Amino acid sequence: MEKTRRLSRFLDPKLLASLSAMEIRAHTVVEGMVEGLHKSPFKGFNVEFSEYRQYVPGDPLRDIDWKVYGRTDKFYIKEHEEETNLSGYLVMDTSGSMSYKGQGSMSKIDYASTLAASLAYLMLKQQDSVGLVTFANGLRKMIRPRTGMAHLKAVCNELESTAVSETTNIGASLDLVGQTMKKRGIFILFSDLMDNADVIIKKLRQLRTRRHEIVLYHVLDRDEISFPFDDTTIFHDLEDESEIVTDAFQLRSEYLKRVRQLMNTFKSALRKSGIDYLVADTSMPLENNLRSFFTRRQATGAR
Amino acid sequence: MSFASPWFLFGLLGIAVPIYLHLYYRKTPVRKDFPSLRLIKLSVEFVARRKKMRNLLLMILRIITIILVVMALSRPFIGQSASARSSSDTPTAFVVLLDNSMSMGCTHQGISVFNTAKSRALDILEQMQPGDRATVGLINDPGRLIFSQLTWDKETLQKSVGNIPLSMSGTNMASSILPALKLLVPLQAYRRAVYVITDMTESSWKPFIEKYDLAKVEPGIDLIMVPVGGAAPENMAIINLEAEAPVIMTGRQVPLKVTLANHSQRSRRTRITISINDERKLEEDIEVEANTVKDTRIMATFAKTGMNHVSAAIQSDAMPFDDQRHLAVRVFEPCRILLIKPDSTAGQPENREDIFVKFALNPLNRSKDNNFAVESRSTEEARASDLKKYAAVCLINQRHLDLELIKRLSDYLMGGGNLITFMGNRVEPEWYNKNLIDDLGGSYLLPARIYKRVGNAVSRSVDYQMTDLDAGHPAFSIFARDGSGDPGRAQIFEFFQVRPNPTAMLLARMSHGLPGIVEEKRGRGRSMLITFSADTSWTNWPVRPTWLPFLHQTLISMITANELAIGTIRPGMPVSATITSEEARELALKMPDDNQVKLTVQTGAQGLVHFSTRDTDQNGYYEILAEGGKQILSAFAVNPPAEESLLDRINLRQIPRFIPLAHEAGRGKSVKEKVSLLRDGYDLSGAAMLALMLLALFESWFANLPTARRVD
Repeated sequence: MEKTRRLSRFLDPKLLASLSAMEIRAHTVVEGMVEGLHKSPFKGFNVEFSEYRQYVPGDPLRDIDWKVYGRTDKFYIKEHEEETNLSGYLVMDTSGSMSYKGQGSMSKIDYASTLAASLAYLMLKQQDSVGLVTFANGLRKMIRPRTGMAHLKAVCNELESTAVSETTNIGASLDLVGQTMKKRGIFILFSDLMDNADVIIKKLRQLRTRRHEIVLYHVLDRDEISFPFDDTTIFHDLEDESEIVTDAFQLRSEYLKRVRQLMNTFKSALRKSGIDYLVADTSMPLENNLRSFFTRRQATGAR
Repeated sequence: MSFASPWFLFGLLGIAVPIYLHLYYRKTPVRKDFPSLRLIKLSVEFVARRKKMRNLLLMILRIITIILVVMALSRPFIGQSASARSSSDTPTAFVVLLDNSMSMGCTHQGISVFNTAKSRALDILEQMQPGDRATVGLINDPGRLIFSQLTWDKETLQKSVGNIPLSMSGTNMASSILPALKLLVPLQAYRRAVYVITDMTESSWKPFIEKYDLAKVEPGIDLIMVPVGGAAPENMAIINLEAEAPVIMTGRQVPLKVTLANHSQRSRRTRITISINDERKLEEDIEVEANTVKDTRIMATFAKTGMNHVSAAIQSDAMPFDDQRHLAVRVFEPCRILLIKPDSTAGQPENREDIFVKFALNPLNRSKDNNFAVESRSTEEARASDLKKYAAVCLINQRHLDLELIKRLSDYLMGGGNLITFMGNRVEPEWYNKNLIDDLGGSYLLPARIYKRVGNAVSRSVDYQMTDLDAGHPAFSIFARDGSGDPGRAQIFEFFQVRPNPTAMLLARMSHGLPGIVEEKRGRGRSMLITFSADTSWTNWPVRPTWLPFLHQTLISMITANELAIGTIRPGMPVSATITSEEARELALKMPDDNQVKLTVQTGAQGLVHFSTRDTDQNGYYEILAEGGKQILSAFAVNPPAEESLLDRINLRQIPRFIPLAHEAGRGKSVKEKVSLLRDGYDLSGAAMLALMLLALFESWFANLPTARRVD
């Protein structure tokens, strides 16, 4: 009962019901063991048409397209792509800064975990495999991708039990994740990106060159986006415990400018590399973020 | 800077408020967790710099605001003068120096420059406040303060300015500026100023600023220049008039040298009119190039003996006072000279020892139109002559003279005659010393006692030259100029050794130091002793070119020595002379306007009297009259200084320390307002109020300028 309650903390049935009609479609063809909704690079039956090629001796005769032969007097083989299952890697930043909770009801880590669990559920439901990686200053925990709804429990348990602490070292952590995950799949990274932007972009591009599909959720609290402080304030860093005294009112415009710059930097740099960059504002309903994920996926899939 | 309400300056302490706010005012901060300070730290670095600048600027604006408030309330006055830096309730001590030199006599745009200057002086005096002290001075040559002490009586000062006449004299800046400064230096409790109202002629200012370092004038004294007269007008002037003859005889042509100066940028033609004794006699047209001086000579003949008034005039221009110049000349009858030569020995040819003197005095042997009418007589003939008819008598190598002739010569000499005695081989020293000196007592004839002969005129083995010539004596002054010859080059083979009398003057020595030529004033006459011969028996001087001018100059100086010669002076210069009491009966000075002023005489020793006068302010011809105007004792001319005709203006920047107070009628502030501004300075309170308003608006806008968007 207790476990069920904790699980439901991340799996809002109402939310998940609203998403049930959605399909997770990988953008590129990935290798999979289970036939699903995803396109497969391999030939198969009852699959979607891929291309025509000239017949060569040894090809099965059933693959010859007779209609084309009737028009051209030449044998062409009709090739198909087979639907296959997807490996999803949920990569969760568990550094100290993710514990921040502003005016909203959820901290950044809670919000990101809920989002990750929701995605895990949906992927598992359509027979895809899901794994989980947590990191902060380095890699903390890794759950290999598996299929089956029973695996959801393990993922949720891990999300729930991971305590946030330490500073962020995204670059090193992504290196380790990349080395570990040999099989091509979709990486969904949840982080507030409190690290060197250039390093993060560089490491994500490296992962992308290994033909991984990458989605980056930039998790930000409303306070970080709007900086709603007016007074002279002692700001306390949740990662390294440092403090700074400043007039928040006077700092505001400069801070907001830098935040916008940072988000634009990620957005433009990552999109050029085919990496989806999504901002997860913790004050917004989770549904919106999931919808934007799927809308984005569908848009790129139609491309 | 001075303040009308200086106690408001304590308000400047209020500056401490914005400084306190800037340095110490801080809000109590609240503590707030934040995911990461990475971006905040980067922003803080940038914002801190901007905030620092903004806060500093705000503090400065607030300080300036407070200063302006205090300034506006304390009513500051600022000005370039030292007076403006003093408190506004400090009384003022000032001197108004009015240039009334001749150059101020010209007109500018049809208005008399001098009248304009007087008007400026009255305007300055009008600004005199109760408690102020002032005096008025004149700038001419020599300048003076009308009131030697400062006075509070404004009305008297204004009246005195109204009565100041234009002087015909030059400009001596030092003679009025220095006494004015001397008067003001001790008055430390006053605001002090010297106002100089002048046409700023370069010729008067340049010598002054070259000689005196105005930068050393006490900084607390304002030197204020009030220029009048505008740009220099074109001016043509007669700057000199003189007769080029050492002595002027009736009927003889005399060159009159007229010097004209054209102080303009174009060549000008004019007509010179020469008048003698107010009768137009001669006219001559002359063209003078731009900015040049030109001499011209006009031959004139005088008919009247005694003092004559010569004037030269040109057409009048913007400066009328230098268009006429005067000259007083004394004209003599042709001089009769008596040469008493040695008697001829029976059976011998006529003695010709006088020939060189005779030739020198009348080279062309003319019976008329010659300065000197020379008569050569033997002693016998001389005894019968009336010596009073002769201007001078020359005794030439006489052995013995008749005692009666000696007596008559002595009377002639003491009565104003002139005697020149030449030595020679006939001269017996004992007889000369006894009869011409010792036996005559106080009426002796010779200026020196005669001793032995020196040298040998027969062998001519040794020759002597004259040295130590008295260049100050008219007989030798002509030789002081280069190219006029040197009497010292003449050879003298034999001469008498003499010992000059105590009152005698030694005009020349022989090359080994013995006296050569001796002169002594005897009674009203003069006696000269030449220790060698008048012919070539003892010397070759009579055949040298310097012989003739020597004799001419000697005789002219003797003839004119007894005349009271004053010549030409500048306006305002004193004239004084010592004359015998016989001449000094009822002395009067007749001025150019025909007014006569009685001259006061002071009795001196030896029957001499002294008179002096300063009534020489007018240009023109003056006569000194005796015996109630019946006799003209002497005359002189008063002419303006030549440099006053040069009206070029000096640039004010060349004159250190002076603050200009220029004014052009109908333009800008009045003279009174300018004087007031110079004394009190500009009232800055209005400007401070305006600046305060603008600054307050700016400060208000700047302080409320949002540095970031507030959270809605």
